[in-house]
Amino acid sequence: MKKLFAMFSILVLASMLLAACGSPAPAATEAPAATVAPVATEAPVATEAPAAEQITLTLGSWRVDDVAAWEIINAAFNAEYPNITVKFDPTNPPDYNATLRTQLETGTGPDLYFVRSFATGRELFDAGYVASLKDLPGISDAFTEASRSPWATDSGEPYAVPIIAVSHGIYYNKDIFAANGIEIPKTWEDLMAAAKKLQDAGITPFANGTKDAWDINEVVMMQFIPSNIGGYEGRLAYLNGERCFNSEEMVSSFQQIKDMQPFLPTGFEATSYYDSAQLFSQGQAAMMLDGSWSIGGFEKDATDFKWGVFYPPALAGKDQYVTFHIDAAIGANAASPNLEAAKTFLAWLETGKFAELLGNNLPGFFPLTKDVPTLSDPIAADFMAFNGKAKGVDIRFVWEKLLSAPSGSVDGYTSLNNNVISVLKNEKTPKEAADSFQADLAGWYGPAKTCKP
Amino acid sequence: MSQMISSGKRNAGLFNNENRRKITWMLFLLPALIIYLTFMAGPLFDSLRLSLYTGEGYNPTKFVGLTNYIDLFTNPLWRGKFFGAVLHTCIFFAIHMIVQNSLGLLFANLLASDFKGRDVYRTIIFAPATLSVLVTGFLWTLILNPQWGAVNKILIAMDLKSLALPWLGRKELALPIIALVSSWQWVGMPTVMFLAGLMGISEELLEAARIDGASEWAIFWKIKFPLLKPVVGIVAILTFVDNFNAFDVIYAMAGAKGEPAYSADLLATLFYRTGIAGEHPVGIPNMGMGAAIATMTFIILMAGVLLWLYLSRRQSPDES
Repeated sequence: MKKLFAMFSILVLASMLLAACGSPAPAATEAPAATVAPVATEAPVATEAPAAEQITLTLGSWRVDDVAAWEIINAAFNAEYPNITVKFDPTNPPDYNATLRTQLETGTGPDLYFVRSFATGRELFDAGYVASLKDLPGISDAFTEASRSPWATDSGEPYAVPIIAVSHGIYYNKDIFAANGIEIPKTWEDLMAAAKKLQDAGITPFANGTKDAWDINEVVMMQFIPSNIGGYEGRLAYLNGERCFNSEEMVSSFQQIKDMQPFLPTGFEATSYYDSAQLFSQGQAAMMLDGSWSIGGFEKDATDFKWGVFYPPALAGKDQYVTFHIDAAIGANAASPNLEAAKTFLAWLETGKFAELLGNNLPGFFPLTKDVPTLSDPIAADFMAFNGKAKGVDIRFVWEKLLSAPSGSVDGYTSLNNNVISVLKNEKTPKEAADSFQADLAGWYGPAKTCKP
Repeated sequence: MSQMISSGKRNAGLFNNENRRKITWMLFLLPALIIYLTFMAGPLFDSLRLSLYTGEGYNPTKFVGLTNYIDLFTNPLWRGKFFGAVLHTCIFFAIHMIVQNSLGLLFANLLASDFKGRDVYRTIIFAPATLSVLVTGFLWTLILNPQWGAVNKILIAMDLKSLALPWLGRKELALPIIALVSSWQWVGMPTVMFLAGLMGISEELLEAARIDGASEWAIFWKIKFPLLKPVVGIVAILTFVDNFNAFDVIYAMAGAKGEPAYSADLLATLFYRTGIAGEHPVGIPNMGMGAAIATMTFIILMAGVLLWLYLSRRQSPDES
């Protein structure tokens, strides 16, 4: 009916627009250049390039919220290199990977762009879209191997400069804690006792919900896992097949989800990530498990009370690990006509100057340089201090190897997400959920098939 | 004999008046035909072609024959997702047929009679159809929000706390609720169409029936409804096509994954996730498989429309 007609006319308009944009076809002529221009031949040109001419580089990103901060960072770069201007040009996060891929395939990609860690970024490198950085001076001195490895080949050839890590923790309302005589919990059992006490006092202990699904997976479950499995070494044991994905450590992680369930808001099934943040900032819930990227949001919204962060405590008797997730790097487009200028920018990202600008303009996003600058934001500094207090840090459990499954198989991220939600909705016991996680991975991930239970 | 002569005359030249008029007439069709072929038929066939390829990103280059279709029907994960989406789409369509179109018929009947404030009601019933789906979807998500939504606040104020459910968070509730929201939004369309149909019914027929002592109920079923049958058919087929293509309202209220746990996943959202957006957090689409899903949707729609054409053609001799 009208809907149909409207849809039709939108389609016609859209396709006309596309046709109009496509007709000058700069894409078609640029595309071959992308595949032809190998990095090796471009490198020598570098030395000849005169510094005088004005160059504008575009920087693609998924961080639409950070435009102001990146303008400051890019201005500082421009002050040091007056002939190079960098323009920050972000894309809506859910569309970023697909949009970037289209741009690169059609030869309209940005000169510099944020590269996702591990497999997602590696695919772009293997396809020849990201320039190799094996000649970039100083990259091995500025970053630890752990920071570099998410953007390096198996032989250690880097293709992006790591810039951002995010941490995870529990934001808590200091006023509510004080009014109920609650100290920062030292063990998981203490945390549950505190939650019970708050609930008995008529306060919602945790603000988290499952409507948007990703948050319960990334900022709740993947915060619990490292302390249960023993951090990085523990995770390697799963990835090597020395442990199965339904081991007792994994069951106890699912059990923590189950333990939390009575303390979530009423109607948590339909509570979105945004709702959760609102519940916490309005003082209607005492705690929220969230990432360090939310510092800025809470500093703006949660102004009626004092709040802070602490790390989700390990089960009594277990060592404490922190989920410090290496999240983003910047790489150069191998087909960029200004590759050398792009590499100049990348080399600047290794400096302490950039680390300081990033850490202080984007509180909650931590620079990855070996020398950590002092962070002016107190909450960001608290997050950073977790790393020193914990036995170790690790990235999110599924990121390194379990994100992309072959077509027709369930990847580790989706399986973990579905099983966590099933536990919260009483559809599976923690043991059943862990078994299902193992079964999904055994469908395609070699070590999971051959693991020793 | 004279006929033969005249037909001979007509065929005398290619550019005689008759033929020229025919050709001119066809020229007027040309722009529409070109637009149709470029923007509708072309992409459709290209999508059929694409469903035989595989590869990551937007340029699937590896020809794999019918592998995508075989996977879609034999791989347990794809089969589960696909038939889940087909079932949900059928439920979504059924709820629209029952709720949206029955209410549309009822409202049209009420609006066809003369009463004070008729135009106001007509506007109210039609108003939601003029709003953007994303706007109404967002508003209803807020109204149904378990924390600060009006629905649950009212239920709790009425001491019906046990009925204050997380409407969009339960597997068994999300899809019917979204279908009802969509029915609410689009009920104006069948109302207007039925109303136009009712206006076309001759007053004499109704008067004659009233003189014969027929009740309003009998008049509706014996006179109005049979005469509305062609409109019912059109409304049904448009509802079918609209709902088997439905995407926006699900995207607005349940996200691209048809949360919770794919319970509100329709054919269009499955297609979007597979062929265009990819899934969080990797987000790289599988266009070949997406095209295969689109082709299956096309086949289902085609079958439905052909069935309707067949049925309506079989019926038409009785009506004429």
